[in-house]
Amino acid sequence: MTAHVLPPAPPVQRPRVLVVGSAFAAAASFMVFIGLIGVYLAARADVISSGSAWLPKGVAIPLQQPNTMFITLIMTVFTMQWAVSAISKNDRVNAYLALGLTLMLGIATIVMTTYLWYLMKLDVASGVQGVLIYTITGAHIVMLVLAMLFVALMALRALGGQFTARQHDGITAAAVYWYAMVAVYALIWISIYVTK
Amino acid sequence: MALTDTRPETGTDATAVAPSVVPSPLTIFGSGDHKAVGTFYVLAALVFGIAGWIAAALASAHVIGSGSFLTDTTGTQLLQTSKIGLILLVIVPLFLGLATYIVPLQVGASTVAFPRAAAAAMWTWLLSSGVFIVASFIDGGFGGARDKSVSLTLLSLGGLIVALLLGTVCVLTTAVTLRTPGMTLDRVPMFTFSMLVGGSIWLLTLPVLLANLLLIWVDHRYGGATVFGAASSQFGQVSWITHEPQIYAFLIPGLGIVADVVATLTGARLGQRNLLLAAIGAFGVLSVGAWAQAAIYPAFSEDFVWQAMGLLVLLPLLLLLGGFAAAFKDGKPSLKSPLGLAVASILLTILGVLAGALLVISPLELRTTSFFANGQAILILGAALAAGAAGIGYWGPKMTGRQLADGVGKLNVLVLLGGGVLGGASLCVLGFATRFTGLSGAHDTLVVVSVIGSALLALGSLLAILALLSGARKGAPEAGADAWGTGQTLEWACASPPPTGNFGDLAVVRSPEPLLDEEA
Repeated sequence: MTAHVLPPAPPVQRPRVLVVGSAFAAAASFMVFIGLIGVYLAARADVISSGSAWLPKGVAIPLQQPNTMFITLIMTVFTMQWAVSAISKNDRVNAYLALGLTLMLGIATIVMTTYLWYLMKLDVASGVQGVLIYTITGAHIVMLVLAMLFVALMALRALGGQFTARQHDGITAAAVYWYAMVAVYALIWISIYVTK
Repeated sequence: MALTDTRPETGTDATAVAPSVVPSPLTIFGSGDHKAVGTFYVLAALVFGIAGWIAAALASAHVIGSGSFLTDTTGTQLLQTSKIGLILLVIVPLFLGLATYIVPLQVGASTVAFPRAAAAAMWTWLLSSGVFIVASFIDGGFGGARDKSVSLTLLSLGGLIVALLLGTVCVLTTAVTLRTPGMTLDRVPMFTFSMLVGGSIWLLTLPVLLANLLLIWVDHRYGGATVFGAASSQFGQVSWITHEPQIYAFLIPGLGIVADVVATLTGARLGQRNLLLAAIGAFGVLSVGAWAQAAIYPAFSEDFVWQAMGLLVLLPLLLLLGGFAAAFKDGKPSLKSPLGLAVASILLTILGVLAGALLVISPLELRTTSFFANGQAILILGAALAAGAAGIGYWGPKMTGRQLADGVGKLNVLVLLGGGVLGGASLCVLGFATRFTGLSGAHDTLVVVSVIGSALLALGSLLAILALLSGARKGAPEAGADAWGTGQTLEWACASPPPTGNFGDLAVVRSPEPLLDEEA
């Protein structure tokens, strides 16, 4: 039951708490899709090895819309990095523009996904294919919406004058989560849309 | 300040008023204080532990004799619910609660990272746990007959996982970013390091469970429940978290607790500390089990990787045992209840990991029934509960500001060790016995023993609560900052219970045992 008195430490330079936390959250989100896509690939391999086609009769997944979405999301990587770069130079006008553009491209991706769902004419109750494809693409939309909310919140904080060239962790953290979301789409694009 | 802000490096007023011993729900509504959130996690998890072990006992008792008080369907659902519940409602939140309270203190931080997110995670977990229990009771367990109840169960499990992941992110971020100057990763206390390892494994594997639940829910709710949502296949898709190797992932923080307790209560520095850190890391790597899903990979038990993991996990455990034995030899063990509980946890861990090693040896055919695997799971979960109880006994004086009643803790050593051995080992023996027709008559006796073991583990959860609450009893001696007088790590440098901000000045750390350096 003794008391310890330790010498004071010098002022500390903290690592970027919000960026690290966002990286952990992004890793967890990424693993959800690793799990989903793992089940998808295993189920598809089972169906194909039994001699059947993976997609049910009358169902076709066009490649044009997925490719457009992929290009759109790759563009958002650049716009997001543009925002990070601009705020780190205290160029607020360019940062607002880049964040706004990122959000618009995110909305475009949601619209394109719903259009693709309409074109596929795949019923969720059609079997394992419908459940898997709608769960994976739907979950990605959820991740995209979360990323957009994160970006929007940081954009509002930037508009409120909270970020500076020296302290812009919020926007960097949003960018980390956004990049993870785009990486997830890359996995979906290859495993669902390209290799059918 | 915006919601995402934390102010970890400011506002450290060591003279501030200390919090009350046990926070009431009313005082912690809206509070982001990591001490209140952590304490509430711990108490709620132990309450769920009582219910969970009783449910496990009832589920086992159902198979005794010919007539049963439960239908087969209800008995199976109760067993499945208790298995999942003991992990997600008891063991993980118990460790997460201790970590939310203790990790900031161990790394010299004034708060947990994202304190409001940590509080939101705790409330979400509590709410989801309540919904899970209610939904399970109204025929909503896996494969239940009431569709809406099953949907509710699946959604509440999803909420539970998201909440636990959010809480884990807060603890991991604290350990990574808020360490005091000089505290490099190899100098962090063993519990903090074990949370880093265990939390990282949770972060990589629990989302896979969330993915399984999503597929079950979508198929159950919208897809006609023909594949993933089919009643007969639901539990099979999530049962991998209750089996080897994933079950080990929920024990990892317990290894760190045991290490901290052994070091402090023997008064010795842990020798070859980096080797012990590596052993905990290796134990974590060998517990990644999200890939071993019988539902999508039925032949996983024939896989060399699965068999190798089950055997190799003995090596890091042996290294840890060597380190603990050396501390006992070099130091002067103080016969306090946390040390007894730590030893009980280690004994159960040894039995559980040995059982796991036997389970992966194909010629023994121990996977032909579920008895052996269930017995091994009880041993590991019992070890985790004992480690949690050791942590409560060890840090209880820090949490309450008073010395806990050691007699309750000592009684709990016997209860938890007896409960774990009776509950788990009896089912392991039954797993062997079912291979020999001459031993088939032992079935009922061994199951009765297992039921008694589970009941003892429920009693152990209750005793852990009583031990913590004993800090609030009248006349309990004050703990002081260093309750054991041999504290080695930073949590013993701040007042008990810690005031708002925890530390007056951030401490300089020059070794893994800064308080011993200061005394030298």
